[in-house]
Amino acid sequence: MSQIFAIALNTFREATRNRVFASLILFAVAMLLLTLAVSSASLHEEVRLMKDIGLFLISTFSVLISIFIGVNLVYKEIERKTIFTIIPKPIFRFQFLLGKYFGLASTMLIQLIFMSTVLALIFWGLDANFGEEMVQALLLIYIEVLIVIAIALFFSSFSTPFLSGLLTIGAFIIGRFVDRILVIRLASKDEMTPALENVKTFVKTIAHIVPDLSIFNTTPYVVYEDPIDWSYVLNGVGYGVTYVIILLFLASLMFTRRDFI
Amino acid sequence: MNQHALSVQDLVKTFDLGFLGAVPFLGPGITRRFQLKGIAQRVEAVRGITFSVEPGEVFGFLGPNGAGKTTTIKVLMGLIHPTSGQGTLLGAPLGDAQARARLGFLPEHPYFYEYLKPLEFLDFYARLFNLTHRERKRRAEALLDRLGLTYAKDRPLRKFSKGMIQRIGVAQALINDPALVVLDEPMSGLDPMGRKDVRDLIFELKEQGKTVFFSSHILADVEALCDRVAIMARGRIRSIGGLHELLTDAQSPVEIVTRGVEGAPREALAALAAQAREASGQQTFILESDAILESFLDQLRAVEGARLISVIPRRRSLEDLFVEEAAKADAADIQAHEGAPA
Ligand SMILES: Nc1ncnc2c1ncn2[C@@H]1O[C@H](COP(=O)(O)OP(=O)(O)OP(=O)(O)O)[C@@H](O)[C@H]1O
Ligand SMILES: [Mg+2]
Repeated sequence: MSQIFAIALNTFREATRNRVFASLILFAVAMLLLTLAVSSASLHEEVRLMKDIGLFLISTFSVLISIFIGVNLVYKEIERKTIFTIIPKPIFRFQFLLGKYFGLASTMLIQLIFMSTVLALIFWGLDANFGEEMVQALLLIYIEVLIVIAIALFFSSFSTPFLSGLLTIGAFIIGRFVDRILVIRLASKDEMTPALENVKTFVKTIAHIVPDLSIFNTTPYVVYEDPIDWSYVLNGVGYGVTYVIILLFLASLMFTRRDFI
Repeated sequence: MNQHALSVQDLVKTFDLGFLGAVPFLGPGITRRFQLKGIAQRVEAVRGITFSVEPGEVFGFLGPNGAGKTTTIKVLMGLIHPTSGQGTLLGAPLGDAQARARLGFLPEHPYFYEYLKPLEFLDFYARLFNLTHRERKRRAEALLDRLGLTYAKDRPLRKFSKGMIQRIGVAQALINDPALVVLDEPMSGLDPMGRKDVRDLIFELKEQGKTVFFSSHILADVEALCDRVAIMARGRIRSIGGLHELLTDAQSPVEIVTRGVEGAPREALAALAAQAREASGQQTFILESDAILESFLDQLRAVEGARLISVIPRRRSLEDLFVEEAAKADAADIQAHEGAPA
């Protein structure tokens, strides 16, 4: 336990002491302020739009930062050989991986809380309602981020950051549109060739493996100030945590077999 | 208990080059099939070595660049998996967590978390050993002081010089008060003062009864420090033993300097010697072994007008041995290559 905490703390420190990270956050906040300023000045129905844009920006930035840091988490330690001094210590490789995961997960939590606070302050300043449905939406965004970090860590446990980045972004996009992919019709029955049939099976298989991230997007409800059922939120949490556990388990399997050269 | 501090048996490590080498889950069988087709290449970094280090020893691990020292150490440290063979650390098979709790390691050319300050850095490593807060603080401060880095305790490691990094790396290796310390080129990058500090530190560890296993190219340090050494070249152990035995074996050359030995007698004496040369009226003969010293001197006394200036036993230096073994390994390798069927 102490080992996992040590790695997590170190990962958290690395991220928060990194200038790139700090400037990304500042950039995100600036974007948030700017977009909201423009939208509140020029349009009516501004509160709905502001919620829509605010949630969209927060989730997009959080996911991008997670992928960016996530695919480099393990790679950097190997590339810079800092892992050479960790592995010979009395720590199991899966503990190292879990430490890296929790380190970034807590960094992203702080990041998300910070951005949400900025958003809430803007709403408060405009005398607009920042209700329960916003909290629910932000919570689900965090769960989505947790899944994305796990995907990034999984891919980077055996491939390069660049490839992991592409694969993670791919998985993320598919995950966001899973519900639509599954109902796509490639062709009508009589135009169906064996080749098309194969493509269809392939796409559907991928879509079944990749986590369905569309369930974490509750913006349509939020915009209409419709609190969703807490049981839906809890379901989402359960679904996310299950995926994270599976991904971390697979990542550990890959990671344990690796040579650090 | 007769337990080795560290041992390897028939250790082999082969690296698969090219992108196939990077794919996990490709067992040796599959990669071998690709090799036969010439798609994958392999480097035999360690080709079956067996040796052990005993508790309380300071053991030097020598060899030219690319000999396979770092590879061997990495297998011992659990960083890479051996292709075949086994090893033990502190009596336990490799990978045993309890043994690792009593191990200290400094990698070759270390690089560390540059955003940490020295005390945070050492605290991080101390946490990996489950030490209490008070103990972590006490040890980190003591080690900083011991390695002469207290003056730099408010700088992040980013601002450390190469030698300072090497020092904090040594501190990191000692944070758990290890019974066995493995150092891969601890003196590299250090100035003469730094080298002396590390040398003193290794002596100190020895006095405390700890085992030190280190690789080095700085032979003077090895001669000064080690109880035993192993010389590795081209993936094999070429020579292993106590420094004293290795350097004064049966073949100890002798250098004889004379005056007034000329003409035919000189030719006769030169025929006995391995080398003979003349400079500013002095003749120097080098005998391959002291076994023929007596007969050489008898013959010299018979020469009219000859004067014996000096007889100096030439102790083989570690450097001689090192160069010899490296050259022999190269020759053996070339022979094996040419002898192999096409
Ligand atoms: N990751 C790797 N992939 C392929 N070959 C490697 C790898 N690491 C080492 N080698 C090869 O294995 C051999 C032994 O290398 P190693 O680093 O163990 O030597 P060394 O004795 O530590 O040398 P030095 O004194 O220069 O540090 C070399 O031929 C090297 O090229
Ligand atoms: Mg080396």
